[in-house]
Amino acid sequence: MSCSSSLRRARPLLGTLVEIRAEGGDGLAAALDAAFAEIEACQAYLSAHQPTSDVRRLAATSPGVTLAVNERTWEVLSLALEFAAASDGIFDPTIAPRLAAAAYLPAELAGGEGDWRDLELLPEHRLRLRRPLAVDLGGIAKGYAVDRAVDVLLAHGVAAGCVNAGGDLRLFGSEAETIHLRHPADPTRLLPVGKLADGACATSAPYFARRQSGGRSLSPLVDPRDGSLLPDFDSVTVIAARCVHADALTKVALLLGDAAGPLLARYGAQALRVDPAGRIIALPAAGFIASSPVPSPVPCRLPSRVATGD
Amino acid sequence: MRWSLFAVAPALVAGPALAPQFAYATTYLTVEQAQQAIFPGAKLQRMIVVLGEGQKKAIEERSGLRVRVAELEVWKAADGSLFLVDEVLGKHELITYAVGISAAGVLRQVEILDYREKQGGEIRSPEWRAQFVGKTAAAPLKLDQDIRNISGATLSCRHVADGIKRLLATADVLLK
Repeated sequence: MSCSSSLRRARPLLGTLVEIRAEGGDGLAAALDAAFAEIEACQAYLSAHQPTSDVRRLAATSPGVTLAVNERTWEVLSLALEFAAASDGIFDPTIAPRLAAAAYLPAELAGGEGDWRDLELLPEHRLRLRRPLAVDLGGIAKGYAVDRAVDVLLAHGVAAGCVNAGGDLRLFGSEAETIHLRHPADPTRLLPVGKLADGACATSAPYFARRQSGGRSLSPLVDPRDGSLLPDFDSVTVIAARCVHADALTKVALLLGDAAGPLLARYGAQALRVDPAGRIIALPAAGFIASSPVPSPVPCRLPSRVATGD
Repeated sequence: MRWSLFAVAPALVAGPALAPQFAYATTYLTVEQAQQAIFPGAKLQRMIVVLGEGQKKAIEERSGLRVRVAELEVWKAADGSLFLVDEVLGKHELITYAVGISAAGVLRQVEILDYREKQGGEIRSPEWRAQFVGKTAAAPLKLDQDIRNISGATLSCRHVADGIKRLLATADVLLK
């Protein structure tokens, strides 16, 4: 692959730093601007923190009323409901009131007793609620925005690159690149875990978000089974073809552990759990492996629809 | 998608790790490149502004944030737009960024110039920060080029968001 031209930019978006790297092709600067504009659009419609977003409009909507939303909102909600159904509610986009009660989300999202089954998606990007509810797309929107930005770069003829929204990333192009995870005990220590080409990777970990409460460390992640905020947990990473799948599956893998196996297999994904000692446990298992500065790549066992090896 | 997981003998884990100076660091743009990215083709005039006590107070009231530095380097375009560079410190990271603000005080664009992480904290250490003085993309720091794709949980950008709020209030005061 020739990559005579290459650009790399970062902007503060989606509550984190979004980095976009583009290589090969003409008009890389215009492609990057368009990709950032797409992420800004995702943020404008999907953010719980922007008062004019669709997420906030939905929270203010009464049951039975038909609400027209942006195409992005409708798509990401339909993906969220797909994961909610597939995981039997382990992935639940309607836990917003619990997060608002813990002050992780704005008070406008505090109301509503409905769950994901009360959200009805209608044709032409419209929706209707059966009971009052509030959604938080924090567990899926970043991955979705990354995929949209990659689509924009590909449409601009960019040959290769990466969109990384605070650790939810997707690589495209033919070359495989090393993926580094943060060490849970010291997030500035980086662990090389594998080589990825044309795929995505997302991580859920408490190290940058945890807070102390009554002597316990709590994370901004809710267990929909009992509404509790999760205490400190290991870092969980999911590798999948699309970033939106990787993003949503981290929550499922985190809450279900080994029981997440069938759902991971369905999406051709692998989960990596990093414990506080920096050891990595893979699901589906690729043996108990550890990281090192001089890794030797070996193909791991994945479902047949995923080609492995370089 | 192609994915291959590294497998390594567990014995290596116990070995002593060399502590690199940088956990991760990237230079995205120089000040000049950021000016061209935000105000393409514009001629910018550099000014040194020293904020008076009243101006500092007005900025702090408007943004709800402390103004620590009274002397600012500001660039002004012919149409009255402003370009400012600022630096914020997180727990693990040091971020330099630039903003373009229109003559009406509206945020036009934000670009990250530099992002640096320090291992094991102590990001405020003057010795560590002194390494960056005078460094530009023309004389870049020696970085591990292999570290490009980090999948770590979200690093909050609250410090940058606060910084932008403070710069918007600053522009508001300067544009009056």
